[in-house]
Amino acid sequence: MNYNFNTNKMFFYFILFFSTMISISSNSWLGCWIGLEINLLSFIPLISNVNNLLMTEASLKYFLVQSIASINLLFFILMKMFFLKNFEFNKIYMILLNLPLLMKMGSAPFHFWFPNIMEGLSWLNCFILMTWQKITPMILLSYYFFNNFLIFIMIMNSIIGALGGINQISLRKLMAFSSINNLSWMIASIMISENMWLMYFLIYSLINLLMCMMFFMLNIFYINQMFFSNIKLIIKLTMMFNLLSLGGLPPFLGFFPKWMIINYLIINKFFILTFIFIMMSLIMLFFYIRMTYSSFILNYIKLKWFKIKMKNSFFSLFNIIYIFSMLGLPLSTLLFYF
Amino acid sequence: MMKFLFMIIFMIPLCFLQKMFWMVQMMMFFLMYLFLMLNVNLNIFSNLSYVMGCDIFSYGLILLSIWICSLMIMSSENLFKMNFYSNFFLLNIIFLLIMLYMTFSVVNLFLFYFFFEGSLIPTLLLIMGWGYQPERIQAGMYLLFYTLFASLPLFMGIFFIFDNMNFFMMYMMKFYNFNLYLLYISMILSFLVKMPMYFIHLWLPKAHVEAPVSGSMILAGIMLKLGGYGLMRILIIFQEINMKLSFIWIVVSLIGGFYVSLMCFCQIDIKSLIAYSSVAHMSIVIGGIMTMNYWGFLGSYILMIGHGLCSSGMFCLANINYERFHSRSLFINKGLINLMPSMSFWWFLLLSSNMSAPPSLNLIGEISLINSLLSWSSLTMIMLMLISFFSAGYSLYLYSYTQHGKFYLGLYSFYMGVSREYLMLMLHWLPLNIIILKIDYSMIWF
Repeated sequence: MNYNFNTNKMFFYFILFFSTMISISSNSWLGCWIGLEINLLSFIPLISNVNNLLMTEASLKYFLVQSIASINLLFFILMKMFFLKNFEFNKIYMILLNLPLLMKMGSAPFHFWFPNIMEGLSWLNCFILMTWQKITPMILLSYYFFNNFLIFIMIMNSIIGALGGINQISLRKLMAFSSINNLSWMIASIMISENMWLMYFLIYSLINLLMCMMFFMLNIFYINQMFFSNIKLIIKLTMMFNLLSLGGLPPFLGFFPKWMIINYLIINKFFILTFIFIMMSLIMLFFYIRMTYSSFILNYIKLKWFKIKMKNSFFSLFNIIYIFSMLGLPLSTLLFYF
Repeated sequence: MMKFLFMIIFMIPLCFLQKMFWMVQMMMFFLMYLFLMLNVNLNIFSNLSYVMGCDIFSYGLILLSIWICSLMIMSSENLFKMNFYSNFFLLNIIFLLIMLYMTFSVVNLFLFYFFFEGSLIPTLLLIMGWGYQPERIQAGMYLLFYTLFASLPLFMGIFFIFDNMNFFMMYMMKFYNFNLYLLYISMILSFLVKMPMYFIHLWLPKAHVEAPVSGSMILAGIMLKLGGYGLMRILIIFQEINMKLSFIWIVVSLIGGFYVSLMCFCQIDIKSLIAYSSVAHMSIVIGGIMTMNYWGFLGSYILMIGHGLCSSGMFCLANINYERFHSRSLFINKGLINLMPSMSFWWFLLLSSNMSAPPSLNLIGEISLINSLLSWSSLTMIMLMLISFFSAGYSLYLYSYTQHGKFYLGLYSFYMGVSREYLMLMLHWLPLNIIILKIDYSMIWF
């Protein structure tokens, strides 16, 4: 057991997770803001790498975007404090407070940084960016949730996420757009209830984790690499089922959160919203399937001289999670017993 | 009902063993005979347990799906011989069977949708995985997106209904009536795509042409019937609005059926011809269901089962030719009566059943459907006449083009039909023509 732990990274990961806890458990807006700042400053060293220009650029961009967002957040918090009474709700202030949070999580009108930064990260950092970094802004959004405005944002997220991914060949950008699309479902779920959001977020991060780990271990960054390389069939199939699960096709686990959200949206009479979500998830499904053509068609011309070696050997450990992600739907009702 | 599900589930470990190809097939036959013993009541749900139950309608279709699934394994022996992912193939078919079994046996509307969609993935895998040309990707995408595009609104519709009824149970749905246009369209359209109705049928010939024989068999045999089954179940709550709007579907599908049967004459690919002929048959079924009368429902039930067996058998025949000629073109598949006279006999039997010649289920089905459509409007007489005339026409066309004349001179080597193939064809044909001896089970529901 001579794992060579990078203690610096351990430290920053700890602070990253801890800062999220600070801001989601804080009971004043200022505390939330502090958590966000610590979060930003701990994520920067994690993604920057002196040897890789792309990563450095990504960390710089991330810093710029996030710091602008948090400056605005601070400004609007203070403005709200000065001009509004306690517990007074004002539409303008709600929008003003929602906007920087949307910017923080890479939601639609401010989504442009998101695929760009994803392009410069390693898969594990991509995973952190797509899931963990969204927790804080999402929870903060739920404190001050302006329905009429955010429904607009949801529709924008859904459409931009779906249309942005159509012509992509970079898997990281695809996953980024898929994350933007999923953001719309997540905001919708937090509109319904926080438990719903928790469930959606957990299942989304599970599937996303598996996808990112798979891409990480196989060292795949572009769509055509799926065709080039001699990956074992079973691995390709698990990858395909995971993507279908992410797309929300029925027999897989990913269907469950979408089912729940559609159910509640329909009960609350959000018909047009649901229709847009559903039709856009169809487009999402299109490019998920395009990513996995190579595993759908069992025989095709392979290049024999490419050998892919799995980076880590703990694939077998992931098998159980894979099986859960593929066939976990019957078990998913257990999530109601939280 | 659960015991049969468990039997299918416990067949899964067999797929992971080597040389268990025929074992799985035997187990499916065994399952089918066990299921045949099920005590079923005619028009009420019996054997209710958990979310499952079946009336005569789901009973027949479950029998059909188990039967077709086992025949699918039988017909694709080549996969086993070449070891072309044969274990994965078996797993896929068993998964498909689970989905189909559940689709037909659940009494919960949402779960019905769930398994209805779930059967799409194994079918897609069959077509894209074991198909032949690179175009199979396109065909698979057509299949997936045609059906998903229409069925996601169905998903919304089911929850809308749930919101109003506060339950999902199918057998209680008859106490409700929804008189809403958008809801009606969103609930109906998915099944019409699956059937397929004339304007939205384009995915079907594409999928058939690219699919391997097993994919074609399951598509023609069961997938199209899912649409009819769902339509019959769902129309219960739309009786009033369907009275107003049913003419659209009936007119489109009858005229389309006639047009499609004309298009059958233009085909040079055997499989594509059979695919178009099944679109034509399904158009009468849609007409029969949409009239919502007794004759229409039982006629479409009988025709669906008859067509499932018959067209699946014809796809087997097409594949038997394809394995020998390596082509499905009518210009190459010629003069087979010289080469395989006894196979020609089976061509005759199945094609005559396809043109609904006397002892077949298709005959009973078509007669009932003609009754129902004529009682709906006597104007349908014209189209019905043309459809049944041309269905005889293209069956005859297919028969005489493949069997008569000189055989293809470029043919280098050939082998005769093997007993597995004859058995397979007989297992298609026999139930098709023997059920007529006890047809009152399907004819007298009330």
